[in-house]
Amino acid sequence: MNPVRSVALAVGLVLAVLVVVFATREAGQDRMTTHLVGAVAPPVAGSTLDGDHWDLDDQRGRWVLVNFFSTTCVPCVEEHPELVAFAGEHDGSDPAVLEVRVVSVAFDDRPAAISRFFADHGGGWPVLPADTGRIVVDWGVVAVPESYLVTPSGYVAAKVVGGVVREDLDDILSRAVAAFTGKGAGQ
Amino acid sequence: MNSAGRGGAAGRGAVIWLLVFTVALGSLVVSEVADRTPRTNADRVQALAGDFACPVCQGQSLGESDVPIARTIRSTIRTMVDQGRTDAEVRTMLVERFGEDIDYTPTGRGLTGMVWVLPVLAAAAAAAGLGLAITRWRSGAHPEVDDQRTERPSTAKVVVGVTVVAVLAGVLVARAAGDRSAGDAITGDIRLSTRTLLAEAGMAAPEEADEIYTQVLELQPSNVEALAYRGWLRWRTDDRAAALIDLDDAVAMDDAYADVRVFRASVRHAEGDHAGAAVDLAVLDGLDAPPIVGDLLAASRLRQRVAGELAADGELLAALELLDSGLEAKKRTGGGSDAALLAERGWLLAATRVPELVERGLENLDEAVAAGPADPHALAYRAVVASTAASAAERVADVAADLEAFATLTDPPADLVATLVSMGLLDG
Repeated sequence: MNPVRSVALAVGLVLAVLVVVFATREAGQDRMTTHLVGAVAPPVAGSTLDGDHWDLDDQRGRWVLVNFFSTTCVPCVEEHPELVAFAGEHDGSDPAVLEVRVVSVAFDDRPAAISRFFADHGGGWPVLPADTGRIVVDWGVVAVPESYLVTPSGYVAAKVVGGVVREDLDDILSRAVAAFTGKGAGQ
Repeated sequence: MNSAGRGGAAGRGAVIWLLVFTVALGSLVVSEVADRTPRTNADRVQALAGDFACPVCQGQSLGESDVPIARTIRSTIRTMVDQGRTDAEVRTMLVERFGEDIDYTPTGRGLTGMVWVLPVLAAAAAAAGLGLAITRWRSGAHPEVDDQRTERPSTAKVVVGVTVVAVLAGVLVARAAGDRSAGDAITGDIRLSTRTLLAEAGMAAPEEADEIYTQVLELQPSNVEALAYRGWLRWRTDDRAAALIDLDDAVAMDDAYADVRVFRASVRHAEGDHAGAAVDLAVLDGLDAPPIVGDLLAASRLRQRVAGELAADGELLAALELLDSGLEAKKRTGGGSDAALLAERGWLLAATRVPELVERGLENLDEAVAAGPADPHALAYRAVVASTAASAAERVADVAADLEAFATLTDPPADLVATLVSMGLLDG
């Protein structure tokens, strides 16, 4: 056989073997899609719009929805009525409905704008308006809005990328309650 | 030329080309394996930021991008580096938070592992091909090649080749050897401590101070004091955009650093973000701030000015909460007189013209005058409010006493004098 052809054949053969070897080896975990879900929730703590201190650790024993948003992001504005409805439904006033605390973490926003946003669009839950950069990095938030459901024991049960819809949140909550406690979403 | 002569010349040519090849290869190897350990923490931060993609940008690294998430991640890297965390720990944190997609350094796993292997394979294939070509050439596989063309290269070609390789080697060696700024000693300087530098910056002219703060941040990127004071300096020298970035970064770096809270509250207030300023001041009240911070606040009347603007925007409750937060902090730390804050509280309540609130305001003003009998705002505000309140007839003595005390003050605030004059309580 022509030596050039021999070399080309050998190189091609080695390449083919390598493709097979590398493609079938265990790949690195795709953490972009599974990030945090099932892991202990990173810290969320700081001063709220009202000047109170809020800490996720103080919410142990309760379901919490951690919502990352910005008043300048259109999907965040669009999802807000859904959050208001979800928070109202799960505010603990109806013993038949599971209570869920909602907290919003603003990213790269101004407290004055956030105050106006909540005054205009409703929502009475705690909002961390400023100095949230470390929280955003700890949660690996890439682009707002993102929301995370945290179990009473402090684990992240689910992650929603993009704007939330109340029915979807209810469905996620039901499944998370079933998965983490073995009960239904009702009390 | 006889065959022995041609053989000797060919041998010398081979030696020259071997030398050229050795120098070129050696330079390449040296430039790649030379110790390029970053010299400062800032270098490390820059190097690390350059190794990761901005998660929301197209084709930009964390170091190149200026979107908020990139700045936030850079700030986190700075803090970790200054905390003594290794590059591997920073990498692990970033990959855990944002996924392997942002890591520019490919892993050896999965199909990405091919990027490590393909160049080696390509080089091996090229070498094999070259070897084959030479073998065939020598064995006469190309009889059309003229004998003349097998002779050694001309002197001119050798000179050009050596020059090209020398320049290339020089560039590579220079790259590997690092650089030295103008004025740097050839053996380097004894590095000044950041504390000394910060002290120098405090006494330097603005332009020089900015350079010193930047130098401190080169040595220690998470030095919150340098970042906060550089931001404040830049604000005072009208570099507003850079000032806000520095101050936000400083707060992100250490949200319990009192000085930066005062600076940012002041900047936010000046920018019209009074609610934001109130948040910073409320956080400040919860910190163990040095007394000088309280003095700075009192001298600038920042809290009162922010409260006044909030009340003017219809946020009276927020304004009162801000003043009460300051009063609580003073009570807790035992620092300074309450007169100024009580006076502002009373003034804002009286400004509502709601009779009950005006009376409550007068009570605050009474407390203010009691706490600070020589406080110009307490005296002037009470004189104005008491002379116009429903209970004015019962307050004539208070008004007279306040005006008398105000008149004895040396250099009272001009705006208060103007107010009293406009109301006919003081002669112009």
